[in-house]
Amino acid sequence: MTDEYRESIVGLSRVPGVSGALVVDPDAGVTVVEELRPEVAGPATAALAAALFQRTAQAARAAGLQRLDSLQLEAQGGQVLIMDAGGLIVVALIEDDGQMGRVRLEAHRAARALRALAEREG
Amino acid sequence: MKTPAPADLHRWSEELARNPASLAFLPLARAYRRLGRRDLALQLSLRGLEHHPTHVEAHALLALLYFEAGDRSRAADEWATVLRLKPGNFEALRGMGFRYLEQNDVGRARQHLERAALIRPDDTTVQEALRLIRHRETAGARARPDTAMLGTARPRPAAVEPAAPAPPPPAPPRSAYAPPPAASPSAGAVPKPAPAAAPAPAPAPASAPVAAPRREAPRYELPPDPARLFDSLMAAGPLLGILLLDRRGLVLAGGMRTAGAEVEELGAIIGAAIDEAIRTVTHLSLGDWKSLVLESEAAILQVAPVTEEALIIVAARTGTPMGWILRASAQAAITAERYVGAGV
Repeated sequence: MTDEYRESIVGLSRVPGVSGALVVDPDAGVTVVEELRPEVAGPATAALAAALFQRTAQAARAAGLQRLDSLQLEAQGGQVLIMDAGGLIVVALIEDDGQMGRVRLEAHRAARALRALAEREG
Repeated sequence: MKTPAPADLHRWSEELARNPASLAFLPLARAYRRLGRRDLALQLSLRGLEHHPTHVEAHALLALLYFEAGDRSRAADEWATVLRLKPGNFEALRGMGFRYLEQNDVGRARQHLERAALIRPDDTTVQEALRLIRHRETAGARARPDTAMLGTARPRPAAVEPAAPAPPPPAPPRSAYAPPPAASPSAGAVPKPAPAAAPAPAPAPASAPVAAPRREAPRYELPPDPARLFDSLMAAGPLLGILLLDRRGLVLAGGMRTAGAEVEELGAIIGAAIDEAIRTVTHLSLGDWKSLVLESEAAILQVAPVTEEALIIVAARTGTPMGWILRASAQAAITAERYVGAGV
């Protein structure tokens, strides 16, 4: 099963400029699977991304924006893309020269694959 | 300008030693520049850009270091890079404006300086340069070539620019964006951009050179109703609304047609997401946050800081192309900067 989860983010992790791709349990803030460059701290990234997504999703619901599908945080040194994938989230760390169009495309694919997995597992 | 603390220098150096790709190179280079160690600042900036070739602030710092070293050609290259990466960067617009002015390319000079003036209408160096350009244009042929108002009436190699004053001395460092000594038309010199790297203007210290009398900046007409500040942008596409908020989440201007959200509530609630975003970029050593894009079932929201005191929210219908939203947001930010700059 882990292989299938990992397979879902392989495409994302191979987009130029992506330094890490993770599937994270947003409730627990822990990694399910990850494809990271050695310098990227997986557990910290998972915990921070989960907290950011959860809190922002709560804010969006409270503001009447309904369900949060994705969140893209841009900073001077890079970007973080987080996408809802059913009960999980897909997280991508992107360098500041990353190809965001491809990153978003692959993240959508990963999220769809994870939702399909979740439906299959019931 | 604040003197860097030794503890900070030590921390940034260690971080850089541990991870050569760390963004700590930027505060460290700025600190060395402030300490007068421009050689080290230059080395750090160049090395940092090897790892982060599209880092706008690093290019801007490098431009400043080259400028201060008298290498205007390289400084201009770096400012041009900054403008490719961030077309609305004030320092780069001003720097390139002065560079074109030196080369007697008045059209491009005016184009860059007018854009810079829109962003900071009160910058005296920009206003002085624009005044020179206007003077030159009205003087017409009478001003050329022997009595050229712009100092360098014909393009000349940098090494033989007798009319251009030497670059500012390395010490003592001036306050951030303290206005440089003003050039007068009769002096025949091109005003120079102030040598500083901090992003925000700061008041000049008492010992700073006295600036020329402040010129009348282009007057920005405030909209009669702040809620209509972004109306021209709103008419253009699938936008649901644009809000300008202060740091407390209170609405300063703009409005929202409908995003399923109450305007005041949205402003207050988005602050919570920003707090978390800041925490995330800090822990991941990504530098300052630049924007946050939220895609929900009801709308797409793009949130970005306009100044240290204000941020802007652009809301669009779901399905709106992200690139379109980002462009609309950039235009809204320019309007918002003018509005905030007008002292509202």
